[in-house]
Amino acid sequence: MTAFRNLIYDFEEFGLIIRDLLSGIKTIRDSWDETLTEMYLIGSKALPLVLLGGLFSGVILAIETGHQLKIFGATSLISRTVSLGMVRELGPVVTGLLLAARTGAKNSSEIGAMKLSDQIDALTAFGFNPVHKLVLPRTVAALIMFLPLTLIADITGIFGGMLIAYQTFQIELAWFWDTAVNALKMKDLFVGFAKPFFFGFFISTISCYFGLRTKGGTTGLGKNTINAVVYSSIVILILDFIFTKIVWEVL
Amino acid sequence: MVELKNISLSFGEKLILENVSFTIENNLTTVIVGPSGAGKSSILKIIAGLWRPDSGEIFFNGKDIFKMCESEYQTMRKKIGIVFQSNALFDSLSVTENILYFLPERKSLTDHELKEISERLLNFVNMDGTGDLYPEELSGGMKKRIAIARALAFNPKLILFDEPTTGLDPLNSASIIELIEKLKESGTTSVVVSHILNDVVELGEQIIVINDGSIVESGRIEKLITSEDPFVNKFFYRLIKHDRIMKSSYNMYELVNV
Repeated sequence: MTAFRNLIYDFEEFGLIIRDLLSGIKTIRDSWDETLTEMYLIGSKALPLVLLGGLFSGVILAIETGHQLKIFGATSLISRTVSLGMVRELGPVVTGLLLAARTGAKNSSEIGAMKLSDQIDALTAFGFNPVHKLVLPRTVAALIMFLPLTLIADITGIFGGMLIAYQTFQIELAWFWDTAVNALKMKDLFVGFAKPFFFGFFISTISCYFGLRTKGGTTGLGKNTINAVVYSSIVILILDFIFTKIVWEVL
Repeated sequence: MVELKNISLSFGEKLILENVSFTIENNLTTVIVGPSGAGKSSILKIIAGLWRPDSGEIFFNGKDIFKMCESEYQTMRKKIGIVFQSNALFDSLSVTENILYFLPERKSLTDHELKEISERLLNFVNMDGTGDLYPEELSGGMKKRIAIARALAFNPKLILFDEPTTGLDPLNSASIIELIEKLKESGTTSVVVSHILNDVVELGEQIIVINDGSIVESGRIEKLITSEDPFVNKFFYRLIKHDRIMKSSYNMYELVNV
């Protein structure tokens, strides 16, 4: 019963942060410098990680599906499988999970350390809303940066798949690229490009929420950072399931 | 200036403050003193607006702060500065950036004007030339002085100090006490929370003794060292002893001279 009550309390607290976030959208102009810094930190610092994540996802996808399709003599479908798989599923999910680990841990530990050293109290005491000052710039930065990063993961994934298809299954590079691009329909692009916005929003708000509720010294900080990454990752997987279900059954 | 009426606060079943009432007089340094865990910092956090009490009223210049509209409340908040025990400086910002961070008109001032404000405040706390340093490069006493400069950035009428000399060596403690006295000369009212007797003696024009969430005694130091309350007697034992020694030496001196 206590666990259930705590869960309700957690949801209520998270809801209040979302409310503060939405009510403070107009104040983003005051925190534009912080937003640009966060965009730089999310974008440039996570780029190598996303490049590698995207590349290897495409490579593995091409190897696994290629060998299965070869049994049926349908290796020509690798390009289609890789491009649809990357744009609709693996690109957004792999980017989301990598950024949940990187950006989520960063947000939670930074804000958590500020909480433990009274910096959050200082903001409140001097008349600032910590959600406007800390959560809003991080969330806006995530909303702006997650889409280009996902696009980069998609492209490198298709590129990796193309190299494997050429090297292992002797498929022409130009033909692979053409069929991969042509296989994508508006619906696929919509799904692939909508997911990063939701993933970015929830990774940022969940990790900041765990940072803001940090207590219990360094042990508490570590625990909340782990929770931020775990919960963000779980939410990404759940959201991905919901999206996939909606796309196949509604759209 | 600020009046607290019957303030009570509890966390779960733990009672933190019980019917605390006192008035912070304009341009008078109030020291809230008591043992660790007595509820001193809780009072400060309630005045600063960080915690809301379960019951009671707080009046700022005669107005109930819990009945103020948002804009009135924000205006009132800008008149109160706070210096945290941990200093709460932003470790990713330089000293100058820390000082100017809370300045409301920061965006509308030129770089030259901002530099002037920062230099004036650094000069006030005797920290000239440290604007480009980062908090990690400062000693405990220096951090405290920067925290005071930051609190002064928007000319507050009231500054709250949470354990300002705790953990500092005697020289640094003396310099912080001097700064608080200097603030009084410039017309700023200070509330100091401390468990250090020296702070009480040096600063306390109005002293509030708190234990287990309740006020046990209040007044000037002369009143406290003659108090009949057993807790006050115990807490101020060293001062009372010192006072008796001084009085007996004075009596001896008088006896010899007569």
